[in-house]
Amino acid sequence: MSLALFKRSSQSQQSADASCDCGAPASFRRAAQPRRPLLTRVDWRGAVLPVIAIVIWWAVSEAHVVKSGLLVSPAQVLATAWQQIESGALLKALSASLAREASGFVIGTLGGLLLGSALGFSRLATRMVGPSFDTFKQISLFAWIPLISVWFGLGDAAKVVFLSLAALLPVTAHTCDGIHAVPRAYIEVARAFRYSRWQLIRAVILPAALPSIFTGIYLALIYSWLATLGAEYLLVAGSGIGNTLIDGSEQFRMDLVLFGVIVVGVTGWALNALARAVERAIFARRFQSATR
Amino acid sequence: MSDTAIQVERERLASSTTPHAPHVPLFREPRLRALAWRLAPWVLPALLFALWAVGCERGWIAPQILPPPERVFETLLELAKSGDLARNTLVSLQRVLLGFGAGTLLGFALGAALGLSRTLEAYVLPSFNALVQIPVLGWLPFLLLLVGVGEPLKYILIAHAALVPVTLSTLQGFRQTPAALDEVARVFEYSGWQRIVYLVLPAAVPTLATGVRLAFTKAWLALVVVELVASSEGLGYLIVYGRQLFQLDLVMASVVVVGAIGYAVNRALDALEARLRRGQPSAFRE
Amino acid sequence: MTASTLSDSIDILHVSKRYAQQGGAPLAVLDDISLRVRAGEFVSVLGSSGCGKSTLLRLIAGLDTDYSGDIVVAGDKVRDTSLERGIVFQDHRLFPWLTASQNILAALRNAPLSAREKREAVAEHIALVGLKGFENAYPHQLSGGMAQRVAIARGLVNRPRVLLLDEPFGALDALTRGRLQNELQRIWEHERITMILVTHDVDEALYLGERVVTMAPRPGRIKRIVDVALPRPRERNDPRFIRLRDEVLADFAEQDGTRREPQEDRDDDRPNGGTRVPVASPPITEWRLAW
Repeated sequence: MSLALFKRSSQSQQSADASCDCGAPASFRRAAQPRRPLLTRVDWRGAVLPVIAIVIWWAVSEAHVVKSGLLVSPAQVLATAWQQIESGALLKALSASLAREASGFVIGTLGGLLLGSALGFSRLATRMVGPSFDTFKQISLFAWIPLISVWFGLGDAAKVVFLSLAALLPVTAHTCDGIHAVPRAYIEVARAFRYSRWQLIRAVILPAALPSIFTGIYLALIYSWLATLGAEYLLVAGSGIGNTLIDGSEQFRMDLVLFGVIVVGVTGWALNALARAVERAIFARRFQSATR
Repeated sequence: MSDTAIQVERERLASSTTPHAPHVPLFREPRLRALAWRLAPWVLPALLFALWAVGCERGWIAPQILPPPERVFETLLELAKSGDLARNTLVSLQRVLLGFGAGTLLGFALGAALGLSRTLEAYVLPSFNALVQIPVLGWLPFLLLLVGVGEPLKYILIAHAALVPVTLSTLQGFRQTPAALDEVARVFEYSGWQRIVYLVLPAAVPTLATGVRLAFTKAWLALVVVELVASSEGLGYLIVYGRQLFQLDLVMASVVVVGAIGYAVNRALDALEARLRRGQPSAFRE
Repeated sequence: MTASTLSDSIDILHVSKRYAQQGGAPLAVLDDISLRVRAGEFVSVLGSSGCGKSTLLRLIAGLDTDYSGDIVVAGDKVRDTSLERGIVFQDHRLFPWLTASQNILAALRNAPLSAREKREAVAEHIALVGLKGFENAYPHQLSGGMAQRVAIARGLVNRPRVLLLDEPFGALDALTRGRLQNELQRIWEHERITMILVTHDVDEALYLGERVVTMAPRPGRIKRIVDVALPRPRERNDPRFIRLRDEVLADFAEQDGTRREPQEDRDDDRPNGGTRVPVASPPITEWRLAW
């Protein structure tokens, strides 16, 4: 994903020898390329399978071949979808889930940044806390939910605690790793320029560790989303998209469940896309292929 | 690479924070320092444990909130003696191993197919990526309706959890054969089959190892969740059972077992992965 | 452009450095190094890998303070790094998240200059190393030679009185290396600050230095100091240059123990076996070891 940066222009031998190793750059702007028409640009082959699947689904449900309340037609799912959106139920559920996720994510990320930095800057602390932390991380997170439910109940508080935990783990790990991984070479450069400790942190360690820290935050976003769903299944008080799903399955309403599944997928994808966009915005200029 | 592939790669990073060697000289005497360094990781757990024990004894912590360590230990012994622990652990292990195995094999097959045929990839991968956006937990209610609360539910979910990372890393492994080595194979006129067996596969093993490693973590996670939500057997069930009866000692004992198994298998897989990578440093490891 | 006439002399007095080894005798990296560098002089330190020359440079820079002996720069003992002693590393060590000018500016963070003066200094030094137009390029967008130029500009921007260069051109191709050697010479002639260049390239050492200090390894010690009294710019084909090069190379062949025996001493003349092992003329590959 390299951006076309310099326009190489032919230069006389003289000036080339005198100044630099290649032709002088005209600018560092992204090279503009003509865009091909949409039809040829997108690979339509990817759409073949889903279209076929939907057609088969529709045909089977229309033919009433399978006698099961579970086989709902695409039209029904659409109808349910429309109804959910219109009645505001979707908005209510989704916003509740996302609000919880956002709080858990923010709390966990902030805590993780603090803890990760503390561990990153002190090798002794890492040695003391690191192994216990690793071990804790490897215990399936969801196993803690029943305990959390005892201590915090079944409502929002418990969920946010759980989500914060889910976000805290990757952020701490990656922040700590990122700080440890700053090459000594850069630190020596900072010493050569007499950087104070604070300058060192701000100007060298932070930018060098930033990709790793960002990865941790990215994972925190994903994990807290997954944790949201799990929490809503297991801590059933309250409303959320997970609750919608579980309700649907309890009421044997396949159309509602399918709708919920699609919403979950789309939300997950949207969160992913958001994170990627932020990442590109921060990193694209500075690191070639650091994100890919 | 797709979003999901990158996500899978990134999740690989969610493993150990390996502490580094150089340390703050707390003591002058080098032997004492070395000893302190070796013992350091135990300080925190020891402290927490002491806090736990003392807190329960002194009554700072109510037994309904957190049972004392002796109770948890007793319960563990009871479970072990009565065979309950063994039975449930076996059930869980069986589920996770079979599901993981099936998912991994399918993942290899699918990933290899996608990796070898660009046409197939063009048709299938977009749908695959779209389906992968839905997490395992998202599929749970759907599958609940479809297959009910039985063994198939667990196996399908666990297999799915394993399938995704394995497929994506297999695909990546196949795609990432260095072009430089490809040219060497062309110079020696390797047939298509020879190229796959002697070049692509060996070159892909490190990435595959990472994918399998990640798959197990996810499979284990899926097992715990599905046993918590919809099961009448297994370690997760024990946890829920204990919770419902407010027998926190049972809950904690089960959590300990879940943690121990997860930890042990993770460690073993780490070692296996390291051997399979044959000294090639994992891109995500220090 | 105002030429800086401020430079410092460096006195290295009986410097030795050891590394403690696990379960064994300490490893001597430097053994009783003594050297006096005049203010404004260009000294090349020449040696193969492992002779401690880079270590010595780091000691002078103040990056490492664990050694015995003294290093005195302009009358003050070296205790720590200083803006007065600039250093250019072999790997350019530019911060990848900063552009070329920002990297040079980073060196001025603690300099007692106003913001405007700093900007001017950066622009001046970009021009000095011939990189006008590339101010906003990131290191990954620059070639190796260009990145190293930025590193040199960064080393000079604080107007240090001493510039230390640790095999700065080692990672570059031969053509770029030649060009940058010319650049460095031009800069030195203009700025006239004390420069110490560490290298394993005999030609480079002779081309740039007023004196060449050869070092032998294990333990690192000074073998000899060669005066290069040739006018600048030096001709690599000049017979005097070639003779000096042969002389210096002979040093290295000698230390490999493959010195050519004089004709009269050949064992062929002693049929009943001598005490010396017959040695043939060293093949070309042996000479290469000197590098």
